[in-house]
Amino acid sequence: MENLKVLLVDDEEEFVTTLAERLELRGIQARSVIDGEIALQMIETDPPRVVILDVMMPGLGGLEVLKRIKAQHPQIPVILLTGRGSTDEGIEGMQLGAFDYLMKPINIEELIKKMQEAIKSHP
Amino acid sequence: MNKCAEKEVAFFGKITAGITHELKNVLAIIRESSGLMGDIMSISPEAIIKYQEKIQNSMVRIKDQIERGVGLTDRLNKFAHSTDETIAKIDLQETIEQLITLAQRFARLKHVVLKTVPLNQKGPPVTLVTRHIQLQMALFASLECCLNVMSAGGEINIGIRKTKEKNAVHVVCKGDLPVQSEFARNISESEKWPVLQEIAACLEGSANLDETEHGIVLCFPEEIGR
Repeated sequence: MENLKVLLVDDEEEFVTTLAERLELRGIQARSVIDGEIALQMIETDPPRVVILDVMMPGLGGLEVLKRIKAQHPQIPVILLTGRGSTDEGIEGMQLGAFDYLMKPINIEELIKKMQEAIKSHP
Repeated sequence: MNKCAEKEVAFFGKITAGITHELKNVLAIIRESSGLMGDIMSISPEAIIKYQEKIQNSMVRIKDQIERGVGLTDRLNKFAHSTDETIAKIDLQETIEQLITLAQRFARLKHVVLKTVPLNQKGPPVTLVTRHIQLQMALFASLECCLNVMSAGGEINIGIRKTKEKNAVHVVCKGDLPVQSEFARNISESEKWPVLQEIAACLEGSANLDETEHGIVLCFPEEIGR
């Protein structure tokens, strides 16, 4: 996982920046962004190996961002983060092409394991 | 429920669901922040921090409380979303478990423990097409009836007993209880008993005193008339 480039997209800035710091401590190159539109621009200019994407965001929602990533960069796996108690959003996201989903608050080791699985399935 | 009351319930549910989503974000930030503190401490063992053990103990407590908060907000979120549809297909066991989690505090104030009992037989989950909110109100009212007449140190077990004829929810009280006839009289005289009867009737079901154990038996149809 060393030098793996990951893009974290979530409108909760404190969450996403802290998570990025924790991934950095594990040797993962994590960039964070709090806006779906900007995330899409960042993917165009410097595609990450994996995208971690919150479903519920103001402006361009996570599922819309997912659709656009899958349309332009189907090789990039996307792992969704959902805050809802139910699994509906995650399942909907997987139907739209997401690799998998995790419920917030996440477990960082579980996230890393999921990223490894995503990379294996998208060589 | 009339249309206006339905809108009120839906509004209440929507706001609560939104707030629980926010609370999960709050918990996520706390978890990542305490996780980052833990990461730093584990990768820098040479940096001896005064009161290191106390800090580590605090972090364990934070972690435990986050898990508790996550459990509660998950249940509260699902509870709030139960207002999304007036009549819906629901998993009865899951609904009981959800309500037990949300009602723990009320029981704790009375020093009573609430427990769910696993389904008495294997097979697919017991589902009902019913008014989800009112079903939860019925379950809660049955708990209140019991809590009002129980003494400290007791326990309430709630579980489904499925037979060919019906799906019954048994609310069984244990602990320092009076003889069954007196217990049954106390429940039937409690102010919540007519409330429970009314809600059960709205669900086309019934609420009766248990003839064999200290408790209440609730019965609901598999599908409510629309």
